[in-house]
Amino acid sequence: MNEERYILFDQYLEGELAVEEKNDFEKQLTEDAQFASEFETFKSVQLQLQNKFGFEEEREAFKENLNQIAEEYFNKKPKVIGLKPWYFAAAASVAVLFGLFFFNYNQYPAFADYNHPEQASFAERGSEDGPLKNAEKEFNAKRYSLAIPHFEAVLAKGKTPEIQFYYGVSLLEESHYLKAEAVFDELKTGNSVYKEKATWYLALSKLKQRDYEGCKKILQGISEDYEDYDEVQLLLDELD
Amino acid sequence: MEKIKIHHDQMYIDGLAANDSVIIESIYKKFVPKVVFFVLNNSGDRDQAQDIVQEVMILLYNQAKAGTLKLTCPFDAYFFLLCKRKWLNEFKKISNKGVTIHEDVVSINESALELIAQTEEFDEKQQLFDTMFQKLGDKCQELLKLSFSVKSMEEVAEKLNVTYGYVRKKKSLCIGQLTQWIQEAKNFNSLKK
Repeated sequence: MNEERYILFDQYLEGELAVEEKNDFEKQLTEDAQFASEFETFKSVQLQLQNKFGFEEEREAFKENLNQIAEEYFNKKPKVIGLKPWYFAAAASVAVLFGLFFFNYNQYPAFADYNHPEQASFAERGSEDGPLKNAEKEFNAKRYSLAIPHFEAVLAKGKTPEIQFYYGVSLLEESHYLKAEAVFDELKTGNSVYKEKATWYLALSKLKQRDYEGCKKILQGISEDYEDYDEVQLLLDELD
Repeated sequence: MEKIKIHHDQMYIDGLAANDSVIIESIYKKFVPKVVFFVLNNSGDRDQAQDIVQEVMILLYNQAKAGTLKLTCPFDAYFFLLCKRKWLNEFKKISNKGVTIHEDVVSINESALELIAQTEEFDEKQQLFDTMFQKLGDKCQELLKLSFSVKSMEEVAEKLNVTYGYVRKKKSLCIGQLTQWIQEAKNFNSLKK
């Protein structure tokens, strides 16, 4: 460590150098890039120390206050104790009124309207009670959360676009968007028969997340040769 | 110098810096639900959402206190994107899988992105600094802590029961040690790039 250099930095910042030394120092700053860069770091370390310890108490107070507000927000104790039953009736009727009021104005298409995954049938290739058979059973019974681990077991042994696709659909049904979209994206960039289907489901994922713009963009990328293009067109029209 | 136009949402930043409960509560009410929704929809739970929000709030507090946070865009977009990116980073760490993330930054304007880059840089610098500070010996840590919370170095010397000359020198050297480590980390990073 260049001890003298750091002592000099400190003296300069404290204004303790004689005129001549100060001039030398400033000259070196303009001529020696390494020196200047180190001086900059030294100054920024000082600044950070200032920030760290200059108002530590205030920061602690802030954190405590923040914590309290956050707890209240996230783990709200139900405040319904003491509310009279007729309050609920009133609240319910207001809710119904609002519901009726907005019902006709809800112009956005819903995921549920387009969500009808086809039945899977990988049976002939799976042994009687293997993970593949189980995955198919759970998937067709719409027990997606149970199907997912079976799919994962199958995929761990070897990937096929077909299994990947049904796995992606299960993930989407369970709202694991990030994972589902990763699966569909992989299929979309591939060349299997599931390419367009995966793109369609990618759009549905956006729809389910109410990202209508994103949904539209993806739909526009689907080729008109896609077997279920009618649905694509329908959804596009609804989004417009 | 270019004149920067401060967005009127700066009041949220100032409110955080002033530890103003009304402002903090209004941030939770207005802007946090969107973050929670996002985290829940991306393999996270409520606790994780709460942590992310708190981390970002403390980050903003620190940056505001350092006087380097001037909001030039709506708070909404800025705050949401910061939380979102923090969560995605966190998620990558815990899931440890190469999940591809597709970011739609279409609706975000440039000043928001620039501001986010600044805040993230502030965050990185602070984390680097904290790591290095923890590497220092106990003596250095204590001396620096005192030097930057007590008014004068004379007082620091008195508290530590050493001479003024000694604390001054020691302080320079402790800061010097940090400087050296951080400088090395910087050089290393620029090599990586």
